Amino acid sequence: MWRGFISILKKDFKLILSSKFFLLALGSLILYSCYINFVYVKLDQDIYPVYIYDPMNTHTRVSSEVTQVDTIEDLKEKYSDGYSVGIDASSIESEIVIVTSGITSTDNFRAAYALSLLSPESSYTVENIGQNDKEMKNRREITSEFLFFELAAVGFLGLASLIFKEKQMGVIRVHGILPVNKSAFIISKLCLFLLSDLVFTCLLSIINLGLSAGWNVLPVVFIQAGILSIIMALAGLYCAIRVPDFKQFSLLYLVLAIFITTPVFLAAQTNINWNWINYHPMYHLFMGMKNSYFSTPSVGSSYYLVCALAIVLLFLLVHRALTHEMAKEG
Amino acid sequence: MIKVKDLTFSYQKNKQTLHGLTFSVSDGEIFGFLGPNGSGKSTTQKILTGILNGYGGEVNLFNQSIVIKQKEFQEKIGVLFEFPYLYTNLSALDNLNYFASFYPRENCRDIFELLEMLDFKNDYLKKPVSSYSKGMRQRVSMARALLSNPQLLFLDEPTSGLDPSGAVLFRKIIEEEKKKGTTVFLTTHNMVDADLLCDRVAFIADGEIKALDTPKKLKEKNSNHQAKIDYLYQGKSTTITIEIAELGGGIPFPHDEIISIHSKEPTLEDIFIHYTGRGLS
Repeated sequence: MWRGFISILKKDFKLILSSKFFLLALGSLILYSCYINFVYVKLDQDIYPVYIYDPMNTHTRVSSEVTQVDTIEDLKEKYSDGYSVGIDASSIESEIVIVTSGITSTDNFRAAYALSLLSPESSYTVENIGQNDKEMKNRREITSEFLFFELAAVGFLGLASLIFKEKQMGVIRVHGILPVNKSAFIISKLCLFLLSDLVFTCLLSIINLGLSAGWNVLPVVFIQAGILSIIMALAGLYCAIRVPDFKQFSLLYLVLAIFITTPVFLAAQTNINWNWINYHPMYHLFMGMKNSYFSTPSVGSSYYLVCALAIVLLFLLVHRALTHEMAKEG
Repeated sequence: MIKVKDLTFSYQKNKQTLHGLTFSVSDGEIFGFLGPNGSGKSTTQKILTGILNGYGGEVNLFNQSIVIKQKEFQEKIGVLFEFPYLYTNLSALDNLNYFASFYPRENCRDIFELLEMLDFKNDYLKKPVSSYSKGMRQRVSMARALLSNPQLLFLDEPTSGLDPSGAVLFRKIIEEEKKKGTTVFLTTHNMVDADLLCDRVAFIADGEIKALDTPKKLKEKNSNHQAKIDYLYQGKSTTITIEIAELGGGIPFPHDEIISIHSKEPTLEDIFIHYTGRGLS
């Protein structure tokens, strides 16, 4: 039944080679790594600069991170950037002054942070669950985001372009009369894209986190990358088989990108708080990927069960779509 | 080899494509399946090759229902599609090696011999298919269909895209396959192919078989039994149509020289139009 599977693998590999997919992946790897190492880790913006106007020296024990200004106009100028926080201590009661970010939770956080700097001697009990210097934190964060983007978007497109090529040549129909299990046709593509994605994951992690840190997170990251890679490859296969041409596919891709992944990035990367995002499957995949880079296993067995079910369901859908495509008119 | 009884199929509810086809094809026979576009011939072929399921009626190939051992009978069939579906980024050799890998090695024919038999230009053997002409692609497709030494060959417009000498070569190859005992199910619009190759032909229109017999018998049944005679008499050239029966006692009119005598036998296309009320385009 599986006779010829290796031939399908070899043929798919040649097709991927001719489609320049590996070149694109290599380009992405270089681009992401350059951005992370030469740009992102150097964006060292302080957390909410705090300025105080205190003409009567009311606050004598303020933190050294608070900058004194001489006039109320200076204070106004400083907090007008929409990011800094001002403390006006010219009257009996000190006031926190900010230009609102538009998100209440962020504004509250900025105000609380400024207040904490007014009385730095207060002690807080903090549970230390790991060590992460700021640069490593940034590296892990951006690497996980780039990897998610690469696997979700570029892998999806790469597989679709492969299927469109085969559709254009009409060879999918020939496989309908060959004595080979149709699943072999799907599994060979999944294997190649999974392997390619895992190699990409390994290189991206080691180049950007360093050999030791990268190696430590790889086992967990591999699991998340594997899940995402298989799900996106199956989704790409299904869409590419069902949609008649690449133009319509591009439109569908745009819709998917805008309405499916954008809310996930917004919810995870900003302080926007949407309760419904918990029902968004991509959000969980994104958070799973991100947590895996921080070695914070936040997912339980139900997450893996749902992923396994999703993979099985998508596989059956692709199998059905493929059978339908093979029976199409020439 | 093929036994089809009351075959029905619908792509949509309330719209039946095949309305109870019944026919059989014997071992070693070349069976022509002729019909206009949308008549149901491709659907029938897809069912016979195991691509389409969900049909009604009975379909037996090699004395077995195709539902039971689909993969097993797919090893015994070869299919030539209407269009040469090949991997255009691969060479003829790579394509044929790829497709051969799905069949038991002991059943496969030698690829080089096959291509030589099909008059394939050796210079192109390792060049990508994208650089081939339509005729060359058709030759590679035919080689693919014959690769596994099939007992049953489905050919859809085999001579399409070939020059006259290529078409003659393909007909010769099909006849040689028949001599070896291969059964051929030929779907075509080409009346010359059907007339020259087929032992029997079936006319299908609107999902029904309108007529099924040997080309010779179909012509006899539909002949008007007349002959057209061109002759010279007293220096004048004349044409006359008479009943063939009248020729029993010799030429029944005065003449100096007979130039030609043609029976006014109908062509397969005339017969098709007679049965179905429309042409084959």
